[in-house]
Amino acid sequence: MAKNLDVIEQTTNELTLAERQQKKPKRKKKKLKAVWMYTLLSIFLVVSIFPFYWMFIGATNDSSKMFTNPPTLLPGDQFMTNLTNLNESIGIFRVLFNSLFVSGLYVVIALAVCASAAYVLAKYNFKGKKFIFTAFLLSMMIPYQATLIPLFQMMSDFNLLNTYFAVIAPQLCFPFAIFLLRQNFLAFPTELMESARLDGASETRIFISIVIPSMRPALAAASIFLFMTQWNNFMWPLVVLNTNDMYTFPVALSSLMGLSYIDYGQVMMGVTLATVPIIAFFLTLQKQFISGMLGSALK
Amino acid sequence: MRKVIGRVSFLLIMMLVLGACSSDNSSSEGSAGEGDGSGKKVTAWAWNINVPVLEEAAKKFKEENPDFELEVVELGREDVYSKLTTGLQTGGKGLPDIILVEDDRVQGYMETFPDAFVNVSDKGFDESKDSFPTYKTELLSKDGAMYGFPFDGGPTGVFYRTDYFEEAGVNADDIKTWDDFIEAGKKIKDATGKAMLGLDLNGDDGLYRMMMTQQGTFYFDDEKNVNFTSEESKQASEKVKMMKEAGLVKDTVGWDAWISAMAQGEVATAPSGAWLSGSITQQAKDTEGNWGVFKLPAFEEDGNRASNLGGSNYVITSASNNQDLAYDFMEFFSTNDDVQLTAMDNGLFPTLNTIYENEAFTQEVSFFSNQPIWELFASEMNDIPSVNFTGNYAIASDESIKAQSEIMNGKKSIEEAYKAAEDRLKNRIQ
Repeated sequence: MAKNLDVIEQTTNELTLAERQQKKPKRKKKKLKAVWMYTLLSIFLVVSIFPFYWMFIGATNDSSKMFTNPPTLLPGDQFMTNLTNLNESIGIFRVLFNSLFVSGLYVVIALAVCASAAYVLAKYNFKGKKFIFTAFLLSMMIPYQATLIPLFQMMSDFNLLNTYFAVIAPQLCFPFAIFLLRQNFLAFPTELMESARLDGASETRIFISIVIPSMRPALAAASIFLFMTQWNNFMWPLVVLNTNDMYTFPVALSSLMGLSYIDYGQVMMGVTLATVPIIAFFLTLQKQFISGMLGSALK
Repeated sequence: MRKVIGRVSFLLIMMLVLGACSSDNSSSEGSAGEGDGSGKKVTAWAWNINVPVLEEAAKKFKEENPDFELEVVELGREDVYSKLTTGLQTGGKGLPDIILVEDDRVQGYMETFPDAFVNVSDKGFDESKDSFPTYKTELLSKDGAMYGFPFDGGPTGVFYRTDYFEEAGVNADDIKTWDDFIEAGKKIKDATGKAMLGLDLNGDDGLYRMMMTQQGTFYFDDEKNVNFTSEESKQASEKVKMMKEAGLVKDTVGWDAWISAMAQGEVATAPSGAWLSGSITQQAKDTEGNWGVFKLPAFEEDGNRASNLGGSNYVITSASNNQDLAYDFMEFFSTNDDVQLTAMDNGLFPTLNTIYENEAFTQEVSFFSNQPIWELFASEMNDIPSVNFTGNYAIASDESIKAQSEIMNGKKSIEEAYKAAEDRLKNRIQ
């Protein structure tokens, strides 16, 4: 995430620099400034990438190498050993499947729920609209610890403990996503909706065929956000899942943390694997995501 | 229009189907986790190194009880408590039959949720009481009945670098009191430039806890009164302060930094529980043969040198529908010599005293300069004083660490800091 922000930052910086250069032809001074700018950016780049690099080093080395002085900075040859050990400890494929399935399903359903809610709140007028929207926003202030036990009790009463559904259900209506999408839907021209109505399109059709397609960037942003939330979700899956074969990635990784002995090779390998899908998901939606950001900037 | 509705409903149906099949196959697998007593199956929660021991025990238990089946759910150590607390708050929902709980936590659960665990004395475990050290059986007792099975312990010792000691001309056998320890530390610092020990002065009070236990008390005394201003507390804190002021302490923030200091040879000793041997052997492979162990120094000549840090116990939950079978299995697990010896292989120190004569305990350990370290730890077991953790262990630990930090940073004197900590703690307990 940080890496991509850097990219965006960099491009905007380049733009402003180019603009300034056109206005004031004091090239030398500008050049010097650019050098400083890039040095600074490189430092930030290193700072944001180093943890990932260190994670990779850890994943390819023996656990004891994490503690040597001077630190090991080159990839080792323990990649396969760590991978096999990790697979023996937590069963990578099952856990990966669980996490992908839960997060994927969550994104699809939650996006449908949140987009509909946001659309109604942005484009329709009805009594209590403001109250509902405020209630949504206020619910963001309730710490999850406060809802943990009542929710657990509910899931247990519904006999849903240890199911995928229990993992995703409580967060299907995600206030932040609703807020994000509502702000974007507000910008959608109401005239377009009206002309569609004149042409005889139903409200559902307007939403699905006219509004949604033009809101792709916003939806992409929201889905990245939802995916990450669910992918990294730890406390709730930990509490509702009761067998090792149902574990999501964070919960399974946490089970590697025992008392006195922790195999960091395995932990780092696990974290590396857990990062890959997020990066992949982001890269797939990146185009939409960035075009959304630039698009709204140019308006 | 119709097309759209068709698509939407198709999507919805897909979701329902997907949702349904996911919950279907999982609930059939999950039922065991809820301890619904389906015949001969018992579920247990434990963290990593304990899992092989449980599985080995189950294999042996099966020889006599062919239908028996054990499902071990592997959890992180802290995660066990998150799940256990949530489960108990909702009246035992989703809990397994057997749970592993550490020494410092178990009394808290017994106080907060008096009916949470099965009374094992009623089921006949008192017969085996003598096979365990008193400090363990008292820990698990309430009103004369036991509510859990003692498992591993953390008899303490000072792990030390034999090469550094030799270089400085210090003989470990001559270190009998904490004052001797500090003197030796100064000599080693002069000769090798290494710190005597690593302590997390602002984040952990392990050494203070060991010293308190060694003197037969803890954060709380026998009557469960806050004990920070006692003579014992003052003595313990004074010694830690002396080490700090003599420049013997390397400030290691957090567990990893502490282990790392050992692996890199930056510290000459590490006072800790027997279980540290596992971490040293694994994370500091290069230092093989350069380690030894001696007992914790005493406060006065010929004083008590036995103490404890860490350890855990198994409990059976009252929510279990399979209590009798769980009891039979756990009784077998706790008192079977072979099972407990498997624990040794996994770096755990069993408290079952019938196995201490075994070869596994008398053997010389090559990593520790061929010293029979397990024999040394085993010889402490009967002298470890029983102490009161109470249900307020966590907040007491919090206050104790604050006080230690204030003292070590020179903000307050020992008396002032612990008086203030005692007042704050009493306030928090109400």
